[in-house]
Amino acid sequence: MDKDKNPKVAEKVSPVETVLKEPGILHEPVAAPLVTYPIEVVIPKARQQTPAVGQRATRLDGRLHGLGQTGYIDDMTFPGMLYAKIRRAGVASARIKSIDTSEAEAMPGVMAVLTGKDVPNNSFGPSIKDQPVLAYERVFHAGDGIVAVAAVTEQIAAEACQKVKIEFEVLTPVLDPLESLKLETPGVHAPSANIYQKKFIKKGDVEKGFAMSDHIIEGHFTTQMVEHVPMEPHATIAMWDANGRLTVYSTLGRITLGRADLASTLGIPISRVRIVATIVGGNFGGKNEITTEPVLALLSKKTGRPVKSVFTRPDEFIASTTRHPLIMDYKTGVTKDGRIQARKLRLVLDGGAYCSWSETTLSKACILSAGPYNIENLYAEAYVVYTNKTMTGAMRGFGAPQVCFAYESHMDDIATLLNMDPLDIRLINAFHEGSISPTGQKLQSVVVKESLLRAAERFGWNPKGSTAGAGKILPKEITSGTTVRA
Amino acid sequence: MLTVTLKVNGETRTAVVPPETTLLRMLRDQLNLTGSKLGCDVGDCGACTVIVDGKVVNSCLMLAGQAEGRDVQTIEGLATMDRVHPIQRAFEDCASLQCGFCGPGVIMSAKALLDEIPNPTIPQIRDALGGNLCRCTGYVKMIEAILIAATAMRGESAQASR
Repeated sequence: MDKDKNPKVAEKVSPVETVLKEPGILHEPVAAPLVTYPIEVVIPKARQQTPAVGQRATRLDGRLHGLGQTGYIDDMTFPGMLYAKIRRAGVASARIKSIDTSEAEAMPGVMAVLTGKDVPNNSFGPSIKDQPVLAYERVFHAGDGIVAVAAVTEQIAAEACQKVKIEFEVLTPVLDPLESLKLETPGVHAPSANIYQKKFIKKGDVEKGFAMSDHIIEGHFTTQMVEHVPMEPHATIAMWDANGRLTVYSTLGRITLGRADLASTLGIPISRVRIVATIVGGNFGGKNEITTEPVLALLSKKTGRPVKSVFTRPDEFIASTTRHPLIMDYKTGVTKDGRIQARKLRLVLDGGAYCSWSETTLSKACILSAGPYNIENLYAEAYVVYTNKTMTGAMRGFGAPQVCFAYESHMDDIATLLNMDPLDIRLINAFHEGSISPTGQKLQSVVVKESLLRAAERFGWNPKGSTAGAGKILPKEITSGTTVRA
Repeated sequence: MLTVTLKVNGETRTAVVPPETTLLRMLRDQLNLTGSKLGCDVGDCGACTVIVDGKVVNSCLMLAGQAEGRDVQTIEGLATMDRVHPIQRAFEDCASLQCGFCGPGVIMSAKALLDEIPNPTIPQIRDALGGNLCRCTGYVKMIEAILIAATAMRGESAQASR
């Protein structure tokens, strides 16, 4: 890159473009002719703030990643370090009648064993503090950790975990969120109700809106539980110094929150807690809250040595948070020319065994549930319920992707019913500059319609004739059949 | 305990390990080569990919004892004091890695491919990366980088044979 040239007008020649002289070489063979377009250098007109926009940049971590030199938490070792493993419940709902760790403690190489009763304050959570550090009297999902063992090798720790004897009184789990929604279903976290949070949005009058509609269409949509699967499993190392200060190296994303959680679960002042985070091998929301950190801190305190624990891949699936499954019921009233008059919807979020980030997810899902469309009459109700399943927490989108799937599929269904082009119906109803959102916010810098039209032009959307997925999309100009009324 | 002697990145190394130790654990824990990563420990994700006697291998599925006397190449063996390897350079220029955890495995798979097929097609590259999972990038820039590295490496070997 020639630094003397004015970066705003210099031609950007990247390594990729020099080698790939034929446009479209990286595309798989497609049925339709390729649409090519120039890679434009955006020269900002108004508010020319920074010459960096539009320039090629090199990631700062690229060099070390490629060399294999990036230090992730599992790559670190400390002198005298022990390894910890956690014995997990393996049953969805149970009362713990007894825990016998004597055989594990007697194994050579086992340095310390920990159960829930050793934890000063055995509950934490970003909003509702319903999650135990180690389950002590009750098990709420199969991934609940019950006993932790620190040993000189990982293998001894794993074997010792197997030698722990736990007696369960197995209880009937609640697995279906719609069952959990019913008031007569026994509370998962009794005496707390199963519906642990709800949100309602009311705008206008939906019954009046439906009365004004020519068609009313209903849709039922569900999404499934999804695991983040970061390539790097959760990893943590805990140690204390001679002044009684805890240092934790962790893949944890929210380290400020982590400090607060460690201080409260361990019953120590927050000034005594130091968390060091480093390059993480993928988070996507799954590493947003503490997992084994308090356990390792206590094991380290008992043994006087640093203690490390890394999740196995199965642990990642059963003991870390996942994306909320949603059950979404939509009812929309439209005029025969495609204008939405009213929308009524209900969301039920499967909130898993513990709250984690469910309140944020519920909130976001509900606020965005109507979609980017002008709807005068709206009623949205959203509930999150406990079930005896893997904890559901933060995952990229926090509820937005699930409702997007629902309202956009619903929109396609409405278009089919009215025999309209799916693009047209969106252009008729989409937000524009100054639109009022479902929660009463006046929206600015709205470019929904412009984006849709530009995208349609770019990939050659054919308004007449071809059905979606048929594969025969030919480049065509968008005709003025789409009259856009702002 | 098993004594294992093998060549790693051109150097003869020895380690004393329990017999059930995998090549991956021996590289990471005994030989201090933490570039190869543990992603699943069951051969699904490819983060542990190394090259053994010229063949690409999931080191979590190979026992340390099976590597006795063999020639193992890991990510740490690609760059020299003079230069970063062309594959590593291309990955850097194309910003092919984000969190970087799958990187060593992908780069070793790419190296094994380019050692065998100096001028690969895109389907061949996709096939070579078939055993490497990445959750961040979507693979497109890795494929671009491998094409560029292939050109650079053909240039280098043409230079060398002059």
